[in-house]
Amino acid sequence: MMKKLKSGDPKLIVPTVVIAFLFLFPLMKPSIYFLSFLFTLFTYIALSESWNLIGGYAGYLSFGHVAFFGVGAYTTALLLIHFGLSPFYTCFFGGILAAILAAIFGYPCLRLRGGYFAIASFCMALAMPVITRNLDITGAATGLWMSMLPFNIFTNRMIFYEVMLTIALIVVLVVRHIEGTKLGLGLKAIGEDEETAEIVGINTTKLKMTAFVASAFVAGIVGGIYAYYRTYIHPSIVFDVFMTLIIVYMAFFGGCKSWWGPVIGAAVITIVNEALTAFLGMPGELARIVFGLTLMLVIIFMPEGIIFFIRKRRAPKKGGFASQPKV
Amino acid sequence: MPSSVEIGQAILSGLLLGGAYAVLSAGFSLTWGVTKVINLSHTVFALVGSYIAFWLLRFLGVEPILSLVIIIPLLFLCGLAMHGIIKQTAKRAKEITPASLVLTFGLFIVTENILLITCKADPRLITTSYSGKALFLDKVALPISSLISFALAAVTIAALYLFLHYTYTGKAVQAVWQDKAGAMLSGIDTSRVTAITYGVALASAGVGGVCMGLIYAIDPTIHLSWLIFIFLVTVLGGVGSIIGAAIAGLLMGLVIGLTGAFLPYAWVNLVLFISLIILLLVRPQGLFQR
Amino acid sequence: MNWSNKRVMKWLMLVCALALLVPLAVVGCTKPSPPSEEPIVIGGSLPLTGVFAETAKWIEKGYRYWAEDINAKGGLLGRPVELIIYDDASSVEKAVTLLEKAITVDKVDLLLGGYPGTACVAQMPVAEKYGMAYISMGGHMPSFEQGYKYSFGSPPLMGQWWAEGLGPYLETLPKEERPKSAAIITMNNVIGESCRESIVNWMNKLDISILVDEYYDLPLASADALVSKCKESGAEAMFANGFLADGALTVRSMKALKYNPKLLFQSVGCLVPAWVEELGEDANYVFSGTGLHHKLPYPEVQRLNAVAKEKWDIDYAPDYFLFGCCWMQTLQCGVEGAGSLDNTAIKDYLHTHEISLIHGKFTFDEKGLPPSYTYLTQVLNGEVELVWPPEVASTKAVYPKPAWAE
Repeated sequence: MMKKLKSGDPKLIVPTVVIAFLFLFPLMKPSIYFLSFLFTLFTYIALSESWNLIGGYAGYLSFGHVAFFGVGAYTTALLLIHFGLSPFYTCFFGGILAAILAAIFGYPCLRLRGGYFAIASFCMALAMPVITRNLDITGAATGLWMSMLPFNIFTNRMIFYEVMLTIALIVVLVVRHIEGTKLGLGLKAIGEDEETAEIVGINTTKLKMTAFVASAFVAGIVGGIYAYYRTYIHPSIVFDVFMTLIIVYMAFFGGCKSWWGPVIGAAVITIVNEALTAFLGMPGELARIVFGLTLMLVIIFMPEGIIFFIRKRRAPKKGGFASQPKV
Repeated sequence: MPSSVEIGQAILSGLLLGGAYAVLSAGFSLTWGVTKVINLSHTVFALVGSYIAFWLLRFLGVEPILSLVIIIPLLFLCGLAMHGIIKQTAKRAKEITPASLVLTFGLFIVTENILLITCKADPRLITTSYSGKALFLDKVALPISSLISFALAAVTIAALYLFLHYTYTGKAVQAVWQDKAGAMLSGIDTSRVTAITYGVALASAGVGGVCMGLIYAIDPTIHLSWLIFIFLVTVLGGVGSIIGAAIAGLLMGLVIGLTGAFLPYAWVNLVLFISLIILLLVRPQGLFQR
Repeated sequence: MNWSNKRVMKWLMLVCALALLVPLAVVGCTKPSPPSEEPIVIGGSLPLTGVFAETAKWIEKGYRYWAEDINAKGGLLGRPVELIIYDDASSVEKAVTLLEKAITVDKVDLLLGGYPGTACVAQMPVAEKYGMAYISMGGHMPSFEQGYKYSFGSPPLMGQWWAEGLGPYLETLPKEERPKSAAIITMNNVIGESCRESIVNWMNKLDISILVDEYYDLPLASADALVSKCKESGAEAMFANGFLADGALTVRSMKALKYNPKLLFQSVGCLVPAWVEELGEDANYVFSGTGLHHKLPYPEVQRLNAVAKEKWDIDYAPDYFLFGCCWMQTLQCGVEGAGSLDNTAIKDYLHTHEISLIHGKFTFDEKGLPPSYTYLTQVLNGEVELVWPPEVASTKAVYPKPAWAE
């Protein structure tokens, strides 16, 4: 069980300082490039963290997360275009629609095990761009334009930076909290061994649906904000296949059994990618080869992700309860 | 309402296409069934086969079928190498299937990007002396390249089937699949057998790639849509069954052809995705699963 | 979570915090070194690989040639010009991020236009946000209706004007000879959609019934199903509203399936040498449209043809090469006219003055567009000829289309 952290506890100080620094960062007038980069980072943290509820804890590898992201994006875009409503409010509606999609899809499909659920969710993610690309109401292949915020570019970027930072922070804190609750433990139990979990009396269906719908809700909100940041959306941008795959990768890389994992994974991947492409000028393909290789290495040698790998090395071996990951 | 000629054309083109899908899926299905590994990089290796055929044709004028002489052994070796990697993964991962998904995904990214760097992203057409020519059955056209692709596919599937059922190694593969412990007890070197399975699977992927290349234009990212197709075929046919893959491949080609005749072309893929989801829900074991 | 091992967690958190903060602080707050006094940097992205690469690489050649030319003549405002052209691999997403990178990281002085249609649509808002002039082919009316002040189509190749060459030409034919029906297959992106609008308008105007009207996604794997539909409909005019690779596939399919319409129109791609290389005999008789052509009777255009002959040993300058030169030239006019690199001054100048381009004088309206026009082209004997309007035509069109050679 997680011990309640007392205030003043040294463990709280480092994260608090980091977070405060991040919130105040724009005051240091960094280049716009960094605000944009961090915005992208926070986006992926939020997406990866929310994915982890269903994918990491419960072990249901959803390759369809981007579908929810895109639904949120199109929702806010359309509401802005047709009704002039600000995405900062309508993103919640985007989240709700994404959650509904998750409920509709999840109800039959969460019964599928292992690889089958992954495939089915991937199909859902692939179906979305086909639909949006062929319907006039979603702008078909032309895409949709949203009006820009009436501020200069720096203020513009700063607003999005702060908003996405807030969202990412909330998501991480919520998932961290969930981890210690019955929901979290139940999900992890499902991830370990679903049959046993059911025998023990856990309502696996309810937990899975909750996790799936909740993760979709978050993705929808994130998508809604992202669309406004981009101001032009198109099926290939918001239903990007690579995005759905990379979210999964980030969680695995960092360690999908803890709330830390997706944060680390998203941070490391995004920073390394940027470093490789922007600063070393490595062509995108080479950067992706490096990814692919590290992914393979990680899964071969550290299938529980980096976090657990490090912990296993550090922590003295303790016998007993299933808190230790099985080798 | 499409005319009878259109429908006839749709059916025949679909069946010819289905042959290519069948051979592309056979190895994938086999791997999944025998070793429980879902190899997401299967189609990207098939694409490697297509590119080898393309470059050999372009620079040395070698007929795609002849290029198989190089493609098959090369991909067989790749299969053996992959087996080695999977073995390593299996040592530490709790469950091989999800780990294999992530692992082969990594492999697919690496290979796709190697292709992007070496072959550029431009779409390519394999243009042989017979491209653009067709035989005519009444008013329905049978492009010669599609016919050759179908013949190639049929021969390969037959070969796979014969291998599995009539050779010692093939039967060993089946034994390992049905009862691994039992197979070990009867003295079969399961590791060697599994390695051969991978080799055969990827080699057949190479053939599949050539078949697809004879019908379709290729580019380094197209393997992703092929992957969706082979999932559908594999699940429909029953994981692990060669016959299943063959029949399901033909069926799917038929569905693609007919859907294209009746619905706007752009919706065909959607029909496939939804069909796959429904199939997974309703009968995940497919037609012929052991 | 196992909190009992405090040291591990603390160590871990510290590492992560450092990993996040140190690079940020170091790089984020270091002022990047000021751009070198000397060269003017013009940056952007083009699809140097991918589905649009064939045509885009000629645009790149156009840009680079013009930069060389300017430098040979003493530079822009007395300073040498340097180009940064990223490869966006025909991906809209990359085009956007690369343009932002060029603006925010490379801090380019001026922008170069991306690939018309798909990339432009997404890049124009970026340029607008950062207040930088963006000159390209546009390609798509709605993007010019967003009220962007910094974008110019110079010349544009408006999809919505695409059939402006074909339409009037068909009008000159006696009614009985015109095709009575049409089949249109369109690539599912902004260019395809906008060209289709133009085609459909003219078909309606000329009373030609549209029997097939389908979309397909790029890259097109096989054209057989679509072509079969078109053939079965008996349409007398076929519109392959797509790019080079899918256009070539379509032609091959038409030949294999023995579909012989009276008129074949291909939207983009049949104007580059690769079209003829890929298809040989079958490349002929295809109609298309363009805003620029190497046979236009203007001295500047002829000069560029000579340049192309010298550099690449081809008989004439491909249209996309000419476009690249044109856009650079427009940018140059704007800079020289405004007398500075201030993008706002540049855009104001372009909005209010007439400029001289290689193929005539141009003015831009508040949308950034010149008055509408398109020439009709046809590939004949392996060459792209101008067949309409008569003032600029290099030869007469061939209609109806002869059947496929064996």
